[in-house]
Amino acid sequence: MSNTLKNLLHSPKFMVGFILFIAILLTILIYPLFNPGNPLEMIGVGTFAKPGTYISLYDATSSQKETLKIANAEEKRIAAALSDEDRVKMLEWLSAYGVDVTEVDASNTDAILELWMANYNPDASIKGFTKSETRNFRLIQNRITELMSADTLIIYEEGAEDSKSKIVKTDYVNLNAIANVKTLPLGTDNFGRDVLKELVSAAGTSIIIGLIAGSVATVIGLTLGLLAGYLGGNADEIIMFITTVFTVIPGFVLLILISYSLGQDQRGPTIVAIVIGCTSWTWTARSVRSQVISLRNRDHVNLSKLSGHSLGRIILTDILPYIASYVVMAFILQVSSGILSEAQLSLLGLGPKTTTTPTLGLMMNWAMLYSAHTNGSWWAYFPVILTIACISFSLNLMNTGMDQVFNPALRD
Amino acid sequence: MKGYRKYFTKKIVWFLITLFVAMVLNFVLPRLMPSDPVAAITGKMAGQTTDTAAVQEIYSRFEEEFGTNKPMIVQFLIFLRNLFKGDLGTSFSQYPRKVSDIISSSIGWTLALQIPAIIVGWIIGNVLGAVAAYKKKGWDKIVMPVTMFISNIPAFGSAVILLYLFAVKWKVAPVAGGYAFDMIPNFSWAFVKSVIEHYQLPFWSIVLISIGGQAIGMRSMSIYELNADYVKYSRFLGIRDGKIVGYVFRNAMLPQVTGLAMSIGGSVSGALVAEIIFSYPGIGSTMYAAVTAADYPLISACTLIITIMVLIATLSLDIIYGFIDPRVKAAQFDA
Amino acid sequence: MKKISKLIALLLAAFMVCGLLAGCSGSGSADNATSTPTEASQATEESKTEETPAATEESKAEETPAATEESTPAETTGDVTDLPRNETLYFGGLQWGTVNAWNPIGANQNNFAIAGSPQGSRTVMFETLYMYDFLSGKLYPLLADGDYTWNDDMTELTFKIKEAAKWSDGTPVTAADVAKTFEASVAIGNGTGTTYGAYIDSIEADGLTGVIKLAKTEEGGPKNPLLAIDYLTGVYVAQAAWIDTMMARNNNDPVACLNDKAEDVPYSGPYGRLYDDDQKLVLVRNDNYWGQDASMWGSLPVPKYLAHAMYADNAATETAFKAGQIDVNQQFLPNIQNLWLKDGLPISTFYDEEPYGVCLTMPTAWYNMNIPVLKENPALRKAIAMAVDYPSIIANAMTNQSPSFEDVPRSLMNPTEGEQALYDHDAVKDLQWAGNDIEGAKALLDEAGIVDTDGDGYREWNGEKISLNACCPNGWSDWQAAMEIVAAAGENIGIEITTLYPEWSIYQTVFTMHDQTEYQIFMYSPSAASPSNPWMRCMMFMSSSFVGIDNNWSGNWGQYVNEEADEILNKIPTISDEAELKAAYTRLTEIYLTEVPSFSLMYRPAAFDAVNETVWTNFPSADDGRNITPYNCVSGYAIRALYELELVD
Repeated sequence: MSNTLKNLLHSPKFMVGFILFIAILLTILIYPLFNPGNPLEMIGVGTFAKPGTYISLYDATSSQKETLKIANAEEKRIAAALSDEDRVKMLEWLSAYGVDVTEVDASNTDAILELWMANYNPDASIKGFTKSETRNFRLIQNRITELMSADTLIIYEEGAEDSKSKIVKTDYVNLNAIANVKTLPLGTDNFGRDVLKELVSAAGTSIIIGLIAGSVATVIGLTLGLLAGYLGGNADEIIMFITTVFTVIPGFVLLILISYSLGQDQRGPTIVAIVIGCTSWTWTARSVRSQVISLRNRDHVNLSKLSGHSLGRIILTDILPYIASYVVMAFILQVSSGILSEAQLSLLGLGPKTTTTPTLGLMMNWAMLYSAHTNGSWWAYFPVILTIACISFSLNLMNTGMDQVFNPALRD
Repeated sequence: MKGYRKYFTKKIVWFLITLFVAMVLNFVLPRLMPSDPVAAITGKMAGQTTDTAAVQEIYSRFEEEFGTNKPMIVQFLIFLRNLFKGDLGTSFSQYPRKVSDIISSSIGWTLALQIPAIIVGWIIGNVLGAVAAYKKKGWDKIVMPVTMFISNIPAFGSAVILLYLFAVKWKVAPVAGGYAFDMIPNFSWAFVKSVIEHYQLPFWSIVLISIGGQAIGMRSMSIYELNADYVKYSRFLGIRDGKIVGYVFRNAMLPQVTGLAMSIGGSVSGALVAEIIFSYPGIGSTMYAAVTAADYPLISACTLIITIMVLIATLSLDIIYGFIDPRVKAAQFDA
Repeated sequence: MKKISKLIALLLAAFMVCGLLAGCSGSGSADNATSTPTEASQATEESKTEETPAATEESKAEETPAATEESTPAETTGDVTDLPRNETLYFGGLQWGTVNAWNPIGANQNNFAIAGSPQGSRTVMFETLYMYDFLSGKLYPLLADGDYTWNDDMTELTFKIKEAAKWSDGTPVTAADVAKTFEASVAIGNGTGTTYGAYIDSIEADGLTGVIKLAKTEEGGPKNPLLAIDYLTGVYVAQAAWIDTMMARNNNDPVACLNDKAEDVPYSGPYGRLYDDDQKLVLVRNDNYWGQDASMWGSLPVPKYLAHAMYADNAATETAFKAGQIDVNQQFLPNIQNLWLKDGLPISTFYDEEPYGVCLTMPTAWYNMNIPVLKENPALRKAIAMAVDYPSIIANAMTNQSPSFEDVPRSLMNPTEGEQALYDHDAVKDLQWAGNDIEGAKALLDEAGIVDTDGDGYREWNGEKISLNACCPNGWSDWQAAMEIVAAAGENIGIEITTLYPEWSIYQTVFTMHDQTEYQIFMYSPSAASPSNPWMRCMMFMSSSFVGIDNNWSGNWGQYVNEEADEILNKIPTISDEAELKAAYTRLTEIYLTEVPSFSLMYRPAAFDAVNETVWTNFPSADDGRNITPYNCVSGYAIRALYELELVD
């Protein structure tokens, strides 16, 4: 036993997988300590806030100001409001309006702005511009008006006559001086939830779902496989028949139908995990059976039979230990496929029904419902895919490593 | 020869029993879903009527037509009778379209997508696995973990990423459908080209997921065989390397062929995710739509097709193995 | 060693090429096999249903192409093989799944071209007498000539058909067609028949003039004149001669008539059927369309083809819309402004600013009165409604594509000016709530004696913990998001609310049952805008005439009963005095806001309407002075847009 462990520790594949898995587990356990609270709390009003650090504008205006004169501040300000494309578009409008712009270079912001300010007329209907282009010109105009307006912003308290404070363009605030700063490393999702916090919690739930599904599948598969393999004859035929029936009715369809039939209110994560387990045991049963068949005529088994040992005892003492490593490996694979199944089911809107616990599949489902993948909100779905891939990668690596340790023939 | 006959008769009898039980389950399971598709049709037929008696009249009319007011066993017998006539019934959700009509217009797309994709994925995976086993170092250290990682990305994940990168971001692939949005099916080169373009993303997404598993399996089998005594013995005898490798991979292929047959058998159910994400017309999309609409006849038909395909794959494997695998042969004569 | 690796590399390359080739040829032939059976099935529908269909799909695929390959393309599509982009207007979000039928008086056609409803029928292929414009509430004549007239006691409505109006087979449209359509609808019991049969006695025809005779009450007055006007804008006119043919071939069997595929149907509209399969529907302009007569449009609609691809889901539609493969899109797009602000796409909506579209209805959460705790406690109903964070719903679920309840306080009316003017805002001011009022809600519950006695954080009633669920169909993302927020509100005031998202197929069968207790707070939308609204909507909110019936698609799904409301609702259709009408609606609103049998969660357009100006431009917009209804360029008066579209240079 200790020798096996030692071998395992020396298998680079197993160790990499193991360390990766432990790292994921530790993150799941430790991260909530730093960022406590309900992972499903909707902190943002609005959808898909970008990853980054958010500072409270309210606090910033009342924080201690420093005056910094930075040479290119104004340029940056204009660049943020007016892109190069905007400038080209502005020239297009001006020339369509009849202004001579042949002399003006697209990079000459000042000249363009001057002409624009002098000529732009939001009500002019110019042939050749579409509705959306006309709208875009108005938006440009709004941004320019904001840019060109007074150099000083004056803040009033609601209802008050006197201004509370004035902000000029050279005012800066030290980030550390602002009372409320919130970093959202992965932004928010469609409900305005902190994606990272939700992801960590969901990974935990999904691993539990995987463990439950894996255990159920392994227990059913192992039991049936042992019985079929050891008993042989009619028992074998019947068990293999049941196994075939479960194989030919596609597991995925079965899963959908069973979880459907269970009724909606009972479709919590645990039930879904059990259902997944109940549909994915077939290959475990098949492989255990073939392993047992190769064992059942070994001498030590025959000896036990002759000694009149009971069926249970023979299976437990003479067969199980020989296939234990195999079962552990099958279990690991079942865990990883359980996690995948949950995600897949949820993506199709057939996963667990819960409003209190996030799962990876549900996160993916909501991201898809709000088309995060087409509107560029990568942070709402890509980390989820990556997490699933990492969990299942680590489990599979461990599995391959164990395979090599237990089957010396496979060693490089 | 007698042993063979006994073996095959037994296999075929089990095949038929399994088929029947699966058919019963395929019929019963969808009907256990707690929904009433007749009400759905009634809703469509009645619109926003304020006359309630009329609504109930429509309801009972359709209940009668679909036979949903009869006991399940009677419904099943009717289903069986019609099945022998080749009639899979009428779809609820696309009423009054025939189920066989819906299936025939979608299954071609699925098979044309899945089978080549599975075969290509299988070939690439096996070649990679074999090379990894043989070359070890470099390949084994880098290529294997990478393929393994890729194969662990969930199917929908890689499909979504492919869709985002190629169709949304770089706009090099079409976004949806089986052929260009501005075409009408015809037999021109332009149309075929358009079909091929639309084929790429779903095709490669399936290839990507199938590579990893095959590669890992092939690699293990090959290493196993490479370490086998007969290889050492052959080397000892000084047989050419190439020849040994030929033996090794032929032996290692055997279980892989099983995998291929099973994947092809399971191709219809495997089509679900890729077809949904890429809006590809096919039986996966059809089945998904049928499930969400509680369209019993259509669900039963889809699952029946899957069942039959998997069963045929299993049966043919059993039969082929009966001929080629001496162990199976021995077991049969033994029994 | 090296040799082998080279060989393997070579093999690998060869396999990849072979695989690709196999893939390509495979898909090509698959397409032949898939496209033809669909056409074949349409062409030979009748013979196929009677004979034994081919045993399996494989054998059928083998049989049919040979027989149909040569003939079908010519029959169905002429020589058209691709649709020139600058002659085709593409739609999105209006057609899901394959077309079932082309029958204007059938049912369940699942056809982009056929959607008759009083708030705006799609009149691309079949036409109504009038077109409804929900912006102004006006009716514009389409097949009808000029305005309709009432007789003195409003029991008879007279309309006239335009002389120019013709069917696609060249015969004139007459009032007899209108009359026959109504008779047939009643006879076969389609939506029109069941909706209007009880309120319209008959339609009498004399040449181009027709008279709609309304059913009368015992006192001799009209039962419901509002519905007669709905009829004018909602019901298609079908050709009398064709109706006879169709009914004869179905032996007058109602169900068979409802499901007749009607591939031979003549139409009066500007477009006819060109091609349809599982992936696409294409209509082609009828260049002999009668509407180019000066008495109607004076020209043909601009696009030669109207096409709609069938996408799998919202995401696929959105992707295609952004790629410029859809011109007019009826789809909820979260944060639609990002499409032009962030992505710089040539996409626009009717309004440039929030809420971007014209909101006409209000998705509503209904309380199930079969649940004693909900039935007995108006305070509980109001408390939950007060605690809900509506700004979050509008910001997250609707991404601000709805006016807020501060801008348009809650009532029975949709946010349009016309309806808002129908009740006295000041009279109900104190009854309205803007939401997020946790303290107010708690106080209300405490006052009603619904308190937490056992200290578990949840309130009890009659000694039992109140536990409710909030439901809506799965996949209806904005509604689901709203239900999550309702559940959160419950948590805040000590009422346990869990969410439940059944599939639509299940959902619809449950919430339409009168005695269901499975869904306790559940969502559904009342009707949007039409000539009979807001009366129709008020009926849906409060009329007890819908209580106690199964398969109820009509309204009042929460089974709420209020006698005073019933009385007022019965009177409204015949009230013609404006002040009296306003008083009636104000009183109804008072009852509704006091009793809270349901509460609206957001305002929503009847149809989302966004356009991509990659190819076409001059779509209706709020400030263009044309007052064209923003309704996907096809529904009701919105179809005028098709005559004014222009190509982008």
